[in-house]
Amino acid sequence: MQRKIRMALTKGRIEKAIIPMLEKAGYGCEGLKDKGRKLIIPTDGGEFEVVFAKAADVITYVETGACDIGIVGKDTIMENGSSFYEMADLGIGRCRMVLAAPKDANFFDGYAARTVASKYPKIAADYFARKQMDVKVLKIEGSVELGPVLGITDAIVDLVETGKTLAENGLEVVETVCEVSTRLIVNIASLKLHKSSIEEIVDRLNAAREDK
Amino acid sequence: MNQFGKITPDGTKDRLFDECEKRGAFIRALGDLFRARGFREVSTPVLEYYDVFETAKGYFPQQSIYKLIDHTGRILVLRPDCTIPIARLIGSRLKNHTDPLRIFYNQKIYRYADGNSGVSGEISQMGVEYIGANLAICDVEIMELAARSLNAVCGDDFQLELCHIGYFNALVDSLNAPAEIGEQIRDLVEHKNFPALDSLLEQFEGCPAQKALKKLPALFGSVAVLNEARALFSNEASDKALDYLASIYNTLSSLGLAEHLTIDLGLVNQADYYTGIIFRGYTAGAGEPVLSGGRYDGLTREFGEDRPATGFAVNLDLLCEKAATKQQNKAASAAVLVDEKSDIKKVFELLGKLNAEGYTAQIIPVEDAVCAGNKTGFDRIFAVVGETEREVL
Repeated sequence: MQRKIRMALTKGRIEKAIIPMLEKAGYGCEGLKDKGRKLIIPTDGGEFEVVFAKAADVITYVETGACDIGIVGKDTIMENGSSFYEMADLGIGRCRMVLAAPKDANFFDGYAARTVASKYPKIAADYFARKQMDVKVLKIEGSVELGPVLGITDAIVDLVETGKTLAENGLEVVETVCEVSTRLIVNIASLKLHKSSIEEIVDRLNAAREDK
Repeated sequence: MNQFGKITPDGTKDRLFDECEKRGAFIRALGDLFRARGFREVSTPVLEYYDVFETAKGYFPQQSIYKLIDHTGRILVLRPDCTIPIARLIGSRLKNHTDPLRIFYNQKIYRYADGNSGVSGEISQMGVEYIGANLAICDVEIMELAARSLNAVCGDDFQLELCHIGYFNALVDSLNAPAEIGEQIRDLVEHKNFPALDSLLEQFEGCPAQKALKKLPALFGSVAVLNEARALFSNEASDKALDYLASIYNTLSSLGLAEHLTIDLGLVNQADYYTGIIFRGYTAGAGEPVLSGGRYDGLTREFGEDRPATGFAVNLDLLCEKAATKQQNKAASAAVLVDEKSDIKKVFELLGKLNAEGYTAQIIPVEDAVCAGNKTGFDRIFAVVGETEREVL
């Protein structure tokens, strides 16, 4: 027996935004909404199984083929690699990855080597490599804004939605690194071996996009 | 202190007993297939000069190659690929061999692996290269062999996916875009990244190829996509590629492979390496292709000999770990219990006799062969007491 198509879903904010979309696409989500402590739950109609995972793990599960489809932010994709198909932009979870520095600090001036705090060391390093700047990136897991506030870094590279947290900590956006939104990714072999089932899910989710 | 003394480096692992036996059975099956079609084995060193791969630098980013420095300061690499060393052979020791050459290899390649990604840095590959011939039947021969190889290991559970790089190249050429844009398009097509591809192609509004490129990642599946592709874009180069792909597809189908074949016109990985047909093999359970190959007519030119070439490689590790395998018939086993007083000549006679009967036989040294009969895990147990042998079980 062929196993069901499996979707890895990023827990938290993306999960909250995707469930109404899945419902709009015609997939029953009562079980998913009331998941308790279970980690693998089928849609009500049994079309596919959903695995709840942390963002970076979604990539791991899809790359290895343990899950066929993944729902994950572009930020996580850029930070963790890309040996999979990135087939749809779901239009949810929109925000910006930005370089932010203390107000009036003029980040690009002068010749002193700079230090930047980020939860996304690879994205930050790639960004400065593109700018041919020699910048030290410090990985910070929690509130990155503390870097400049505590005086250990000159700026941060982080996601912003409203910019409120930045303003409250005396920071402002210097430049947008990239736009981020939630993507649907697919394992390479799965797409070839289960073409019609996966394309159906992609098409139905694309059709359920709010901005369409 | 001796912190790494009992572990293997990132991306590598030890393989014990069953894993090696399973792998050995695959290697024999594939080797027999290759030899049966006239392919002959070569072996090249694990260490090569960096310069060998420098000529093909576009194919292997330097950060993915393990490097060493030899005692005179020259840069060596652990080979990241088996085909380029064979191209080196074609440009050197096999230079005067102008007849078509059929070569196979069973070697390991090395690519830098991040320790936490679960990606393997040491990959066992078995593959063939067919150099010096470019008739359509040569492409068919290699793909038929690829299908038979997968069949030998995975039974009927495999898919072979075909592409011809000429269609993609014709589309991109017709845009007259700078090379970097072409490479960006290729990368997005390879990853079937529809949203980013759409926005990148906005600047080519009005170009006839734009619509076809936007649809390209979706042009996979049954042979019907070839007609769809032609309807989207048609010029001399693209038609030639599609016609050729269709004829190869039909020929392979007529050889009984129809149910194992699919098309993916968006299979554009290493577009500067492949010059014609590209193909990949999949089997259920493995999350990535277990076989990949294609025609690479430009490679030997980099080593001074312009010879057409085609081939494929099978990833033995993936097959061994993931593919459903046929039950191996294990030979029956026998134990020969001996002690200090056992007659050595008698013991070896018995071993020889058991081997001749098809048993694997091993000597088990015990304190006293007379009363040691409780060994388990063997089909038959013998004891040699002094000069007499007797079957205990």
